[in-house]
Amino acid sequence: MTSSFRFLEDIALADSAFEARGDSPSELFAASARAVIETMVAPQTVSSTCTKAITRHDRSLEELLFDWLADIVYLKDAEGLVFQDVVCTVEKRQADGDWQLNGTLTGEPIDPARHELRADIKAITKHRYEVRQDNGGWIATVVMDI
Amino acid sequence: MTVNRITDQIWEIPASEKPGMLVPARIYATEKILTAMDRGVFEQVTNVACLPGIRRYALCMPDGHWGYGFPIGGVAAFDRDTGVISPGGVGYDINCGMRLIRTDLTLADVAPRLERLMTELFRRVPAGVGSKGFIRLNRPEFDEVMRKGARWCVERGYGWHHDLERIEEHGCIPGTDPSKVSDHAVERGISQLGTLGSGNHYLEVQVASDDRIFDKPTAAALGITGHDQIVVMVHCGSRGFGHQVASDYLKVFEKAMRRYGITVKDQQLACAPFRSPEGQDYFAAMNCAANSAFANRQVITHQIREAFSAVFERPAESLGMDIVYDVAHNIAKIERYAEGELVVHRKGSTRAFGPGRPELPEIYRQTGQPVICGGSMETGSYLLVGTDQAMQQTFGSTMHGSGRTMSRAQAKRSVRGEQLQKQMAQRGIIVKAVSMSGLAEEAGFAYKNISDVVEAVDAAGITRKVAELRPIGNIKG
Repeated sequence: MTSSFRFLEDIALADSAFEARGDSPSELFAASARAVIETMVAPQTVSSTCTKAITRHDRSLEELLFDWLADIVYLKDAEGLVFQDVVCTVEKRQADGDWQLNGTLTGEPIDPARHELRADIKAITKHRYEVRQDNGGWIATVVMDI
Repeated sequence: MTVNRITDQIWEIPASEKPGMLVPARIYATEKILTAMDRGVFEQVTNVACLPGIRRYALCMPDGHWGYGFPIGGVAAFDRDTGVISPGGVGYDINCGMRLIRTDLTLADVAPRLERLMTELFRRVPAGVGSKGFIRLNRPEFDEVMRKGARWCVERGYGWHHDLERIEEHGCIPGTDPSKVSDHAVERGISQLGTLGSGNHYLEVQVASDDRIFDKPTAAALGITGHDQIVVMVHCGSRGFGHQVASDYLKVFEKAMRRYGITVKDQQLACAPFRSPEGQDYFAAMNCAANSAFANRQVITHQIREAFSAVFERPAESLGMDIVYDVAHNIAKIERYAEGELVVHRKGSTRAFGPGRPELPEIYRQTGQPVICGGSMETGSYLLVGTDQAMQQTFGSTMHGSGRTMSRAQAKRSVRGEQLQKQMAQRGIIVKAVSMSGLAEEAGFAYKNISDVVEAVDAAGITRKVAELRPIGNIKG
């Protein structure tokens, strides 16, 4: 299994959904973030003029992924940023068993003249939201309100 | 699932159909619309019928389709003392709603300047991903927007004083508390006043022609005089601010449900007793977002008037640009019915109060409340009025739009945005769009025929159609 995502059509008629896959939680988080980014903008039209570092931890991997994706939506509105790429690591902490996320998003302020903008995501939802392990890999199903 | 015909437009799923249902579910639709409805509607409306304190029926309007927790088109009323409040019954876009503005202009006046008018509107009303408005606010000022809604705008010159009586709740819902709103929500919304957003939100220039006015006296009372009169319709909500309030409180309610021993059939139906601290906090925060949406549409109205004034070189006042009405279709409100005070949730459903209700402004006390229903950008939209029957049957509620029948991805595969823009131009509709893929997603064929939906609510008697409004210019995010 490699890190990837595909948009799903049969889940949310009026909205947008995707399934992301990765060999590890880190790859799953990166693939999911790319799906959220690509819902809002064509990443090849975005330059890398700024970076946003995001660190979070949570006992639940599901909640951690949910909050990480919600961060990307938040940055779109609060700081007017869209992204072209993401790097992240997700590991279980020895000390307390929480999952630790260290992520970096690369992108720039929204510029409708240069960016191929797509849909303005309102929220990451819990509808049919799922993170699971399958054949040693990790799979997430996410529905976004458009 | 057992669905019994009550009348030609009312279908009932009995409370015995699903374990936990406290009341029956009722769907307003013609047989044709009912047959075509997605199965999610039936599951979701019966899930809503299981929520604590629900009264009479869980309802769904003919434009209903699958939503998060509640179906879109859903209406449910809960006892104020023993019932719940649910963000899933309001939706992520709190006080998403419709506003209609009339003018004294006709198609003959506007047609020669339509391209320039649409360019001017597109320039003045920001749309699309993460767009920002022209008003810069600090936190105390944004708190005032949350408390005062459209009234805040009018006090600062973004509107006329008599605008307020033509907005549901006079554009200012009481019971707000900005301290119940997260910093995240404020940060997402503070720069977005006066912006459209994307998805199915739009600003549309439309024509009211004589042959599409069904009730001339009522239309005239609402300011719709026909003779190819130009009107402007706006569909948008509380933007990132409201979206974040909804997201925040869904999390709060997930935990609160465990504390109150509430179980629901869908995680997105997360709810809390209305009288609980969590329920009251959400209600106060939701009202803040609802007021910000009224303010958003008010600032957009100001910009529309400025654009018309610039293009026609006359003050907006002399162009007769009064608001016809502004009404929410994603909201929870306290309203009084035979059972007493109820928490009425409308999600993709419009308040449709009949004549005589004290909540209506004097100018509409006789006609009933104006109801604005947006169709797809290629077809048309409708102006209707509320009825006594809606008060008796549907907690004064009706449809809100046409409802999707095709996924966004399928719509994009069927047509390219540029191609659609060209086709619409050939039919006399000028479209300005930030996102061409977003435009393709909103193609007319992706929606139900709004006329079928309007005929269903008209025949059911829960609203009366007044006029159909045909698009000639559209702005999309």
